[in-house]
Amino acid sequence: MAGVKETLLGPIYIARAMLTTLKHNRKPIVTIEYPERQKPVPPRERGRHILHRYADGLEKCVGCELCAIACPVGCIVVEAAENTPEHRVSPGERYAKRYEINLLRCIYCGLCEEACPYDAITMGPRYDLADDHPDKFIAVKEDLLEPLSASISDTALPTAAPSAQPVARKW
Amino acid sequence: MAAVQTETVTLTVNGQSVTVPKGTLILDAAKEVGIDIPIFCSHPKMAPVAVCRMCLVEVEKMPKLQPACAVYVADGMVVKTVTDQVNKYQKGVLEFLLINHPLDCPICDKGGECPLQDQTYQYGPGASRFTFDKAHFDKAVPLSDRIVLDRERCILCWRCTRFSEEISGERELALIQRGVHTIIGTYNDEPAQSNYQGNWTEICPVGALTSRQYRFISRPWDLDRTASVCPGCAMGCNIQIDARNNKIGRFQSRENVAVDDSWLCDYGRYSFPNFQRESQERPRIRRNGALEEVSFDEAIGFAADQLTQAGGQVAGWASPSDTNEELFLFRRLFRDVFQSPHLDHRPGALPDPEPEDTSLPIADIEHLDHAILLGGQEVIDAAPVLHLRLFKSQRKGLIVHKVGVGEGKKALDAVPAEAQAVGVLATEANKSAAVELQSRLSKKVKGSVRRLMITTGPNGRGAKDLGILPHLGPGYVSLNGQSGKGRVEWPGAGLRAVYIHESSPLHAFATSDAESMWLPGLPLLIYHRFKSSPLDDLAHVIIPGHAFTEKDGTVTNMEGRVQRIKTAIDAAWVREDWRVMQAIANRLGAGWTYADVAEITAELVRALPPYAAVNQAERVTWSENR
Repeated sequence: MAGVKETLLGPIYIARAMLTTLKHNRKPIVTIEYPERQKPVPPRERGRHILHRYADGLEKCVGCELCAIACPVGCIVVEAAENTPEHRVSPGERYAKRYEINLLRCIYCGLCEEACPYDAITMGPRYDLADDHPDKFIAVKEDLLEPLSASISDTALPTAAPSAQPVARKW
Repeated sequence: MAAVQTETVTLTVNGQSVTVPKGTLILDAAKEVGIDIPIFCSHPKMAPVAVCRMCLVEVEKMPKLQPACAVYVADGMVVKTVTDQVNKYQKGVLEFLLINHPLDCPICDKGGECPLQDQTYQYGPGASRFTFDKAHFDKAVPLSDRIVLDRERCILCWRCTRFSEEISGERELALIQRGVHTIIGTYNDEPAQSNYQGNWTEICPVGALTSRQYRFISRPWDLDRTASVCPGCAMGCNIQIDARNNKIGRFQSRENVAVDDSWLCDYGRYSFPNFQRESQERPRIRRNGALEEVSFDEAIGFAADQLTQAGGQVAGWASPSDTNEELFLFRRLFRDVFQSPHLDHRPGALPDPEPEDTSLPIADIEHLDHAILLGGQEVIDAAPVLHLRLFKSQRKGLIVHKVGVGEGKKALDAVPAEAQAVGVLATEANKSAAVELQSRLSKKVKGSVRRLMITTGPNGRGAKDLGILPHLGPGYVSLNGQSGKGRVEWPGAGLRAVYIHESSPLHAFATSDAESMWLPGLPLLIYHRFKSSPLDDLAHVIIPGHAFTEKDGTVTNMEGRVQRIKTAIDAAWVREDWRVMQAIANRLGAGWTYADVAEITAELVRALPPYAAVNQAERVTWSENR
C-alpha cells in the first residue's frame, strides 16, 4: 500500500521541490565565478603588502628595517644602500636595496605597516596568493612595489581581478 | 702613582653610602653602586668638560644642580640623582638637544645603539614644544674617505674634538663658529689625515660621525658580535667583529686597558674587507699543467704522496697571522713527520729573536720617564695604536725621543743618567741597533732599561715562541746543530717541495725577486691559504683554508700576551687548517688524534708551560719560568 501512496503523491512532492527552486531563482545569487571574478575587499583588508612610491615615482621606503624588527614572525628581510646622484631610488640618503617578505611565514598582522615611519609599506587588498612552489612565496621588492605608472585604483584592487563589481545575471 | 689615591672619602648617592678614592667624580662614584647617570659629553678617557649638561644632579647644600661628570666627591656629600628637579632638568636638556636634531633615526647608522635615542626614551619628554623650523646644516659631508659627518645630528658634545686634542694629539677636528651656527670641521675643510678617525665614530654619542664602510650596511640588532683580536699588526688590539648574514660589517674596539686602551687605528679597523670570502672554492691539484678541482681528501692524499717523494727536502712557511695551534701543528708536521728543519715565518732575513724582546709590556710605557723610538715614525707605522699610548704617557710626563736607526748616539745623549725607567721601542728589523742602544743605555742610566720589539703580523710573536724558525726550537731553545735554512736561503738550496700556509692577505707570502725566479722551477708547491694570490699560478696543490676571522685559536701579540680569537664568520665547508695538517701528518703515519682546537691548545700548554698564560689572557714570560 505504501508504494501506491508514494506513487500517487510523487507529483506533489516534485511540484513542492520545484516551487522551492523557483522561489530561490528570484533571489540574487551569492556565489561568483572565482577567480575570473572577485568580490570587492573591505577598505582595511590586510592582504599582501604594497611598497608605495611618491607621486614622482621615487620609493618611500628608506630601508630602516623597523618593519623587520616589528615583525612578530621575522618574515621581513631588508638591506639598505646609499642613493647616489646616478642611481637615485628614494628621496633621502638611503633606500632599500633588498626587501623580501616570506608570505608563507607572514601572519598578516599589519605591525609592519604600523612600524613604518614613512608609510612606505601598507597591507594591500590582494589575498589570492596560492601558488605551486614554496619558493614562489618569497615576495621580493619588485613584487611588492606599486607599478611606476600606478594610479590609485590600480593598486587598491587586486591586479588579477578584471572587475569587482556585483556580478550580473547571465540568464 | 697609587700612593696619591689611598685617601678615600665617603658620600651618599640616593641614600646609598659609597666609599671611593679622593679625586673621583660623582659620576664614577654613582657607577660604583650601580646608579646610572645619563651622559653625552663625558668620556672615561678624557678630561671632563661638562658641556652637555645631561648629568646634572642635586647635591645637598649646593644652590644649583651640579654636573656629575665634573664635580669631584667630598666627604659627607649627599647626592640625589632622581628628584623632581633633576627629572625636570633632564627633560629640559633633552628637549633643547632635540630642537635642532633632525630625528632622522630611520636612516641613521647609529639608530638602535644611539645614546641620544636611548636617553630620550628613558629621561626625555614625549613630545617637543618647538613649533618653528629646525636649523639645517650640511648632511653627509665626507670628512675623509673613511668618515661621513652629518652636521645636523651633531649635539656638540666635543668628544671628537677632545679625542683629537687629548687622545691622538693631532688637533684635526675643531669647533667652528659660535652659538647655533657651531659646527665640527677640519681646518679649511681639508680631508682628515688622522689614522685614528674610526674612533670618532665610536665615541660620537649620536650619528654625526659614521664610517663610510659601514654606511647603511646593517642595524645593530642584526649583527652577530664576536670577540676577537685585530688582524692588522702585532699590537693585538681587542676587537669585536660585527657580522651580518655571515659577512663582516665592521670591527669595533673592545677595551683591554693593558693593550689597546679602548682605541683602534684605521689600518686595523678598516682592514676587514680583506677577510671577505669571495667564493666557495674547492681544493685544486695540478695535473698535466692544469689545475682541477678535487675533494679535500684527494688533495690531502695527493699532497702527502708528493711530500713523501720529496724526502726531507721540504721547506715550510707559515704566516705570522696563523694561530698558535696551527703553528704548533705546523712545526710538528715539519720537525717530527717530514724530518725537515727548514721552517720559517718571517718575510725575509731578520735578526734572531729572544724572550728578552718583550721585557717592556705595552701598558708599562705609561710608567717610563723616557721612551726611544728607534726608527722614529717607522715604529708608529708598524703598530699605530702605540702612538695613542705614547701620547697619553707624554701628557703624564714621558719624554719621547724619535731617532733614526743610525742615531743611537743622539738618543744616548738625550737620556739623562738619573732616568728611572727607559724604554727602547723598535721594529724587529732594527733589533741589533736596539739591543746595542739598550746595553749602552743601561751602562749610563741609573734605572731600568727595557725594550719592546714590534714583530710582524698578529701572531709573529707566537711563531717565534713556538719555534717556526730554522735555527731555534719552541721556547727559543737551541737546536744543537739541527738548524735548517731560513726563507732567504731557500732559493738555490736544492729543496724539492715548499708548503706555504697563510690565513690573512695582510701577511701573505710576498715573493722576493730571487723567489720569483726559483718558485716556478720548484717540483712541488703546496699552497694552503685563505685568499687567492698570484702564487696560485705556481702552486701544484691549492688547499683553501680559513681566514683569521673564521677560526678559533690563540694569538700572541708583540708583548707576549696570548689572546683568543673566535669564529666570527662561518665557513664550515672549508676544512679547518689544523685538520688538514693533521690529515697530512696521519697519511705519513703520525697518528695524531686531535678532536678540536681546545685539545691542541692544551697540548701546546703542556709542551710549552709559559703558554698557560693563555687561560688568563696574560703575557707569556719566559725568563721567570726558566
